[in-house]
Amino acid sequence: MNAIEENAIELRHVSRWYGNVVAVNDVSMTVGPGITGLLGPNGAGKTTLLTMMAGFLAPSRGELTVAGQPSWRHPGVFRLLGLVPERDSVYAFLTGLDFVRSTAKLHRLADPDAAARRAIGIVNMADAQDRRISTYSKGMRQRIKVAAALVHDPRILLLDEPFNGMDPRQRLVMMDLFERMAQEGRTIVFSSHILEEVERMSGTIQVIVGGRLAASGDFRAIRRLMTSRPHVFLVRSSADRALGAALIGRPAVSGVELTPRGLQVRTSDFGTFTREIAGLCKDGGIALREVRPSDESLESVFSYLVAT
Amino acid sequence: MSVLLNPVVLRITLRAALGRKRALVFALVPTVLLGITVLLKLVAHSPVWPAEFLGVFGFSVVLPLTSLIIGTSVLGAEIDDGSIVHLLATPVSRLGVVISKFAAAVILTILFGAIPEFLAGAIAKGFGDRLTIGLLAGALLASVAYNALFVMLSLLTTRAIAVGLLYLLVWEGLLGNLIGGVRVLSIGQYSVGVANSIAHTSALNSHLTARTAIIMAVAVTLATLAVAVRRLSSFALKGESV
Amino acid sequence: MATDRIPGSIQAMPGTGVIHDIGYQSYEGRRLGRLAIVTALCLHSLRSAFGFGRGVKAKIVPALTFVIMCAPAVINAVAMALNHDHARLVSYDTYVGTLRVLVTLVFVAAQAPELVARDLRSRVLPLYFARPIRRSDYPTAKYAAFVLACLAMIDLPVLLLYIGTILQVHGGSEVWAQTRAAVPGLLVGLMWAVLLAAVGLALASVSGRRAFSTGSVAIFLFLTWTLVGVLSRISVTSSGGSSASGPGGVVRVTGAAHLFGLVSPFTVLDGVRQWLGGTSPGIVSAPGRYGVAYGVMLLVFLGASLAGFFLRYARTDVG
Repeated sequence: MNAIEENAIELRHVSRWYGNVVAVNDVSMTVGPGITGLLGPNGAGKTTLLTMMAGFLAPSRGELTVAGQPSWRHPGVFRLLGLVPERDSVYAFLTGLDFVRSTAKLHRLADPDAAARRAIGIVNMADAQDRRISTYSKGMRQRIKVAAALVHDPRILLLDEPFNGMDPRQRLVMMDLFERMAQEGRTIVFSSHILEEVERMSGTIQVIVGGRLAASGDFRAIRRLMTSRPHVFLVRSSADRALGAALIGRPAVSGVELTPRGLQVRTSDFGTFTREIAGLCKDGGIALREVRPSDESLESVFSYLVAT
Repeated sequence: MSVLLNPVVLRITLRAALGRKRALVFALVPTVLLGITVLLKLVAHSPVWPAEFLGVFGFSVVLPLTSLIIGTSVLGAEIDDGSIVHLLATPVSRLGVVISKFAAAVILTILFGAIPEFLAGAIAKGFGDRLTIGLLAGALLASVAYNALFVMLSLLTTRAIAVGLLYLLVWEGLLGNLIGGVRVLSIGQYSVGVANSIAHTSALNSHLTARTAIIMAVAVTLATLAVAVRRLSSFALKGESV
Repeated sequence: MATDRIPGSIQAMPGTGVIHDIGYQSYEGRRLGRLAIVTALCLHSLRSAFGFGRGVKAKIVPALTFVIMCAPAVINAVAMALNHDHARLVSYDTYVGTLRVLVTLVFVAAQAPELVARDLRSRVLPLYFARPIRRSDYPTAKYAAFVLACLAMIDLPVLLLYIGTILQVHGGSEVWAQTRAAVPGLLVGLMWAVLLAAVGLALASVSGRRAFSTGSVAIFLFLTWTLVGVLSRISVTSSGGSSASGPGGVVRVTGAAHLFGLVSPFTVLDGVRQWLGGTSPGIVSAPGRYGVAYGVMLLVFLGASLAGFFLRYARTDVG
């Protein structure tokens, strides 16, 4: 049983589609204790993946198990699992304490009041707990949702964009909380589309792009992959072919393509390239008209990871 | 704690319904009912007006509309704004959730529909009168059956109140008056049937016997609640509702 | 480009900043004016009143109500074909009274929120009002759209009835007679659309929650409608007449009981129809000398609804 518990969430060739739209495409992964971040651009399928893990959506294909059992149609899985959904939807007419305590009662805890207060203490909402949730700010609502997800001491915590609406200090506090919980042996899975949010975190990253699992592993290693990725520039000059021939001889240039719009140059060393191109043009008597980077967006950054 | 009724769900649902200005909308219809009853008591000459008015207005408007608004919103409102996730992300039994929501809806409908109907009958004819008791019995049955249907509808579609309105007006109202067979599948007819079996007045325009009415009402209630539990067990979060 | 000595990083050198010309171009072409905006909004709203542009489920209620509304026209055509003396069963100006009331009620209650509640709920109104339109343009577009939608819902079946009838009659004079009879019916439908669209939108715009809006419209229209029917029946029986079955039966009332009909928009519409000369028996008894009251009430309902609806969007804190 222990081995299954360790591999808390398992996905095997999980796909989910809505009619013609494939939201999650053949994802296989194993999520164990510690922190796992689901990273990816908006619309990549992170929420769909989390929703399936949480048992609120069935995979169209493949198997998804939580602690050995499928989470779909198994309300019992929620004894082990806490979910913090992204939507800002919560019983606004209840007080914070009321909401968390009711959740504790729904979990059939022996002392719901104590559990609620403890959970609220963990997220530092004790001084607002007697106010109605409708009076809370967005960050406070996030925190009370986290408290409700923690109240039954789950070994797995799923959070969808938990840092939305939090200021940097709150983010740090929340990350600290995750680290502490991870050290206790829990499994924390959260989704985000902002790299900088997860900069300092000590766990595994799963990069989801276009519904597919694009990269997994340590955050720092992936980051390195991204900064040492090839850059692509569009160059227009008075003699593209000649310039292209000169460029391909340089070690900093890894590829050159003649396109109707100009010369497309791939380089793995941005700095050297930019230094050398001016010299090459001068030597060859070529007038350089335009050097334009063509891949600054996060999308293309992630798509490099897919290609890799 | 009984498996069927979950006090936490019940309490939250009742608070959600009663704790806001929205409750005033519930009070609107019974107020009109009671107001006009008092007026008619003062000015009407015909001896049959209570059965006519309370029968038609009560069983065509008060009970159906009140049940519609309450029944579609006890689950529907939470599904609509997404807060149902917080309820369902616990090991609470889905059967318990449906039963508790249903019970809350019935309680609210009795409060805002059946009891005003009973009081109106009492104003018109006194507490012990056959009509008054009949109206109460019919109203209680209507509260139960209608809410079961509408709770189920709220799990089948996001436009449950529109579909419910279609059912009330076109199926029960229009077709029920034209085609005899439809009456057997009309909750309005069940409630009128039960009321008539006690009150015995033709003004109630009842076409079913009490036995048929009760059997069908129980069947409809159980069937719709069963469907509701099945749907809730497979509840899928699909993001923002369109 | 200002970068020429950078050791392998993609950021600009510390201390300098560069704004890259990535070819952004502003739009210098022709811009359509207010009329185009209002027309576009109106068309979009008209489409959403029937569920076009949304999923399949959004079309169910409009489709069902339309089919049910057309049923009498179809049945009439079939009956006329079978029954060779070509008597038309359904009249143009009242159609089938109770059916039209109930089906239109469902349509208005279910679809008025589709036009207004969504924008309120998702708080996109500031986006609309940031365009070069006046405050009053938004409700104008919505109202025009819903009037057209209700008109389609009410008059297309009448047209269908007309077409089904003239296909079966012979002779130009007969066709002309049918046409002359149909035109007032179509105008009555227009009257219905104008009033009910206003009432429906006014009530639906109170809340952003669709269910709440539908509930409000349904309560007002159905409660008043049933009330009129029941009270009329009671006053008939109390004055010794015989009562008809169903709340919408034709009833003959006397005296001040005529005024019951002022409470419900549907009976007001029918009262005005009869006051203006319509002779077919309708859902309310002939108003006689109270006809003026019905006319006035129609204007009161219309004015109050439109005023409420337009004022709703005139507030600065809307959305």
